[in-house]
Order: sequence, then structure tokens, then C-alpha cells
Amino acid sequence: MTVPLAAYEGIVGSSAVTQLRRIGEKLSGARVVHVNSTREGGGVAEILEWMVPLMRDVGIDASWEVIHGDQRFFEITKSMHNGLQGKEVALAAKDWRIYRDVNEKNMERLRPVLADADIVVIHDPQPAALLGLCPERKGKWIWRAHIDISRPFRPVWKFLRGIVGKYDASIFSMCEFAQQLPHDQFLIPPSIDPLSDKNRELSREELAATRAEFGLDPDRPLLVQVSRFDRFKDPIGVILAYRLVRKVAPVQLVLAGGGATDDPEGKAVLDDVMEAAESDPDIHVLLLPSGAHRTINTLQRLADIVLQKSTREGFGLTVTEALWKGKPVIGGDVGGIRLQVVNHHTGFLVNTPEGAAHRIRFLLHHSDMIRKLGDAGREFVRENFLLTRHLREYLTLFLALRTGSGDRVLYV
Amino acid sequence: MIPFEIKDCALLTRMSGLLPAVNLRELRDRVAVCSENVLYHHFCETPLRVSFDNPDYRNDFAVWVKLYLGDRVLAERLGILDPYSFPSFEDLRAEVLDLLDERLSELVMVPWARPGDEFSFMEATTVVFGTGETIPHPRDLAAAIRGMTNGSVYYHFLEARRRPPVGVDDFSAWLGHEGDTYAHYVRALGTIDYYFHTLTHLRADILRALAEAENGP
Repeated sequence: MTVPLAAYEGIVGSSAVTQLRRIGEKLSGARVVHVNSTREGGGVAEILEWMVPLMRDVGIDASWEVIHGDQRFFEITKSMHNGLQGKEVALAAKDWRIYRDVNEKNMERLRPVLADADIVVIHDPQPAALLGLCPERKGKWIWRAHIDISRPFRPVWKFLRGIVGKYDASIFSMCEFAQQLPHDQFLIPPSIDPLSDKNRELSREELAATRAEFGLDPDRPLLVQVSRFDRFKDPIGVILAYRLVRKVAPVQLVLAGGGATDDPEGKAVLDDVMEAAESDPDIHVLLLPSGAHRTINTLQRLADIVLQKSTREGFGLTVTEALWKGKPVIGGDVGGIRLQVVNHHTGFLVNTPEGAAHRIRFLLHHSDMIRKLGDAGREFVRENFLLTRHLREYLTLFLALRTGSGDRVLYV
Repeated sequence: MIPFEIKDCALLTRMSGLLPAVNLRELRDRVAVCSENVLYHHFCETPLRVSFDNPDYRNDFAVWVKLYLGDRVLAERLGILDPYSFPSFEDLRAEVLDLLDERLSELVMVPWARPGDEFSFMEATTVVFGTGETIPHPRDLAAAIRGMTNGSVYYHFLEARRRPPVGVDDFSAWLGHEGDTYAHYVRALGTIDYYFHTLTHLRADILRALAEAENGP
């Protein structure tokens, strides 16, 4: 569903929307092409689903292309992805050849679009080799890294660095995720769409229906963690924290996540979580299908306190989603959670199950703080992590690249 | 009177190219060689960047020293620095280096940050564009400020101080074109302790100052 920019005025204010239109006027008619590896599923596709229409809305000739590849290609790029995030992976010379060959085939199909574009944004490593296959390119090419490559497995990074180093610029979500490259590296944090199914306002009836569906007691405090069943999300630590609180307060816990069934590691973590839950009727372990956005939205809205007790985290958009719903977040002191959870302002950063339990108990004793932190978190997200800010930073980057000025102040 | 042209701006942040600092000595060495734009970013552009509005300190060096080196003494010394009170950024750099050297001489061991907590040196381009809107007369100033984006407030009240006439915000410069006619507004704007404000609070304080100048405190 395409939502026009004007629909966001009621949320971010008319001045923020007018600002986007003003910047868009300076880029009117510019041909911008985004390229990634999937039209559906995953965070990048979710971003492009709203970003491309909104770029068009402000006057840019924006389009979205997807590269095609066989199963082997995507196995290789999945290994690259894991390697860039620090996992030791085995990729042989023939794998790199397949990676290049698939990019070459895609280049033949996309050449007319990419060669003439004013700006090309290549998302993640899968289509990164397209640049070297388009020597006749006229515009500026940007590599957008959505993943944390701060501590990569060196052989993978060494290979990819030779490719992405030739781009005109790159974008990282946080400075902590970046690598040294021979071009400008811009920092643009991700964002959420407040009008998407995952974040839009829901009716009381819908909240009540979901509460009843999962057997949640409306009269007792609810703790919720939404995340994949992954050891780095520390679901066992969340259960330990719950048990420490349960001794003194009648809380309920929801651990909701998806994607475990086709992932051997995820299945093992889910089994461990079920075992740790010990059939406690107040621990609700929910394995949700990938498109269960409204259910996730509902659970976050039903929560009194949201947990994201990760021991390692990328940006942590589930934290952003919870803050936007006015919930205080108790989060692990890692990654992008640090950027969003500010002690005593939007929630609490913790390092242990004991720390999480302590903060949960503190908040349960101070319901006024739950409201205060929730309100502050929502305003914090409104100001910093909604898609309008995200779009503005892309547009200003395009302006800066087209102007080619490295000055501190750029008048457009 | 020439109408005031309202501009807006957005910040485009990027890595400076300097290696991150992992301890206090590396911070000192990088501060000694970084560009003025890096200093400007970490001291002055923080209100416009993606960040929480109420940190303990308004400059990134003080925040990092407190949170990741655990040195509250140095954080307090750095945190009180007001970059706009220095004649130049070289003077500000000299003061920061003096504080860092002083602290290094006081400590028995150089404090280190954990892996992943290093200080990253950044800089930014401020992209400025016209809004097409003007303020025809000083009596319209408060209403216009009330409806501005945070980017406009930043550009006209803070960023302006680095442009000629250096140290003067755009509103005061505009009002000053009419001699002493609007001197009471200029005096009121001059009383604002702007560096330690968030942009939201700064806007509210500007509006308060203008209202008091109009009606008396």
C-alpha cells in the first residue's frame, strides 16, 4: 500500500513535510535507482517499499530494481553476509566467480537503467559488483550497508572492500558499524513507518481480541520481548529476569518471534526457551509467521514494559517500535539500543538478567515513570527515527553528491 | 525594512577519516590533528543530530569520557566548555588539549574504552536551502519562529554565529539594521544561555525573551 507524504503531516507536522518538498524541488526529475536483492521480506525491502514512492512524491524520478540469482548465488551472498558480520565462512575462488557472473548477467538486463541514472543506490553486498560492470555510468553510485561490518571476517571484507571502495560514497547506519573506505562514509540511521501495519494505531477491540487470543490477563502487568529466537537476543536471560520479578509481582511474559522453523540454530534456541519456560502458564512463547506485523504491533501495545535484552544487536528497530508505542524499554547495553534507550529518560540499559529484573521492579513500583518514560520515548522517535527524517537525509545526501562540494556548509 | 528570509537546513553526517580513539591519549592525539569541522561537529552540531535531547553534556567528548572511560572529573571539565565563547576554534582546541593533558598528568593509568566503545570522529555538511518564506516585520518574528522547523532555529540562531558578523545570530543582525529601534529585542535575545539548550527549549526561550521584550518581564 502506497501512503502519500501528506498522510504523515499529522504525525511529524506540516513543517517537516514542507521541508521535504523544498529539498525535493532541488532534485526535481533526478533519476534515482535503488537496487537490492529481494522485493519482499527483510528490512531493506521494507524500507524501499515506502522510500521509493515517497521519493516520487517529492518529485524525484525514483525506481527500484531487484537482481535475480539462483539458489547457489544466494547461498554465497548469505555466507558473505555472515562473514561481514564476523562469522568465519568458507568461500572459494569459484564462489567469487559465481558472485561476479550473476552480477554480470543482471548488469546486462539493468544496464539501460543504471548507466543513465543520476544516482544509483546499491543496497548491501549482493548487487555490489554491478558498479565495476558499468564503466559507462554517468551518475553517482552509493553503496548502502545495512549490516554491521565493524568486525568482519577479514577474507570476505578484503574481497568486498575491493569492490565497494570504488563507489562514490557509502552509507552506514551507525559510526560503530563502519569500516575505513577511500570515499565519504555517511551515517544515516534507519527508521520506522508510523503508518505501517507494524506501527499504526489499533482499535481497543483489536487489542482486546489479541489479548484474549493469547490468553493474557488484562489485570496483571505484561512484559514483552519481540525478536527472533537467537542467542544474541538472550531470551533465556529474559526468562531469568521474569522469574526474579515473579517472586514479588504477578507479571506475565510474552516472548514473540519468528523464523525458527527453517533455521537449525533458531530451532535449538526455541527448544531451549521452551525448556526454560517449564510450562509456566504465564510465559507465552509465540512463534509468529513472517507477516504477523499486526500481531507484533498489538503485543507491543499491550505491554506495560518492553524488553530487548540483547547481548549483541544491530540497530534494534524493535526498540524503536516499542518507544513509538509509548512503552519504556529495558534493553541490553549494546549496539543501536544505546542510541535509543537513555537511562531514566526512555528506559534503562542493563547487562544482566538481575539488572533487567531490578529495572522491571523499579518501574512496576513507579507507574508514573512508565508513563513518563513512554511519553519521552515516543517524542524521541518522532524527532529522530521516523521515515521522514530518513528520507530527508537521503535527499540531502543526493544534493551533496550532485553538487560535489566538500564544504561544511552547502547552499542549494 | 528588508524582509527576513527564512532558511532551513539539514545535517549530513559522515566519518571524518580519522581512526577511532580507544583511550584518553589517543583522544588527545586525534583532537590535536583533527579539522576544525570535526571539533565544530562534536561541540556545536549535536543539537541537530540524531540523539536524545537531554544528555548530561552537550559535547560528545564529555559524554564519551563519562560513559566509556568512566572519568567523571574530566567529563565535568569538558562538559562546561562553551564553544561559542572562544574567539576561534583553534582557541577551543587549545583549551581542550590543555584539559586532556592536565588530566593525563593526574592519572596513574591511561583510561581505555572497551572494544566497540571507541570514540568515532565525525564531521558534517550543513545543507542549507531557502523556504520561500519571509518575515516582513519584527512584530511577526515570534509567530514565524513558532512555526519554523528545528533546522531553521538551528541555522538562524546557532549556525549563524560562525558566519559574518561572527558571534551574532541572524535575528539580531536583522533587527540591528534598523539602528536602535529594536534594540530591546536584540538585548533580550542576547540574554539567552543558548549553548546548553536543546532546540525545542531554545525555541521556547527565544519566544519567552521576545515576549518579555515586548511586554516587559
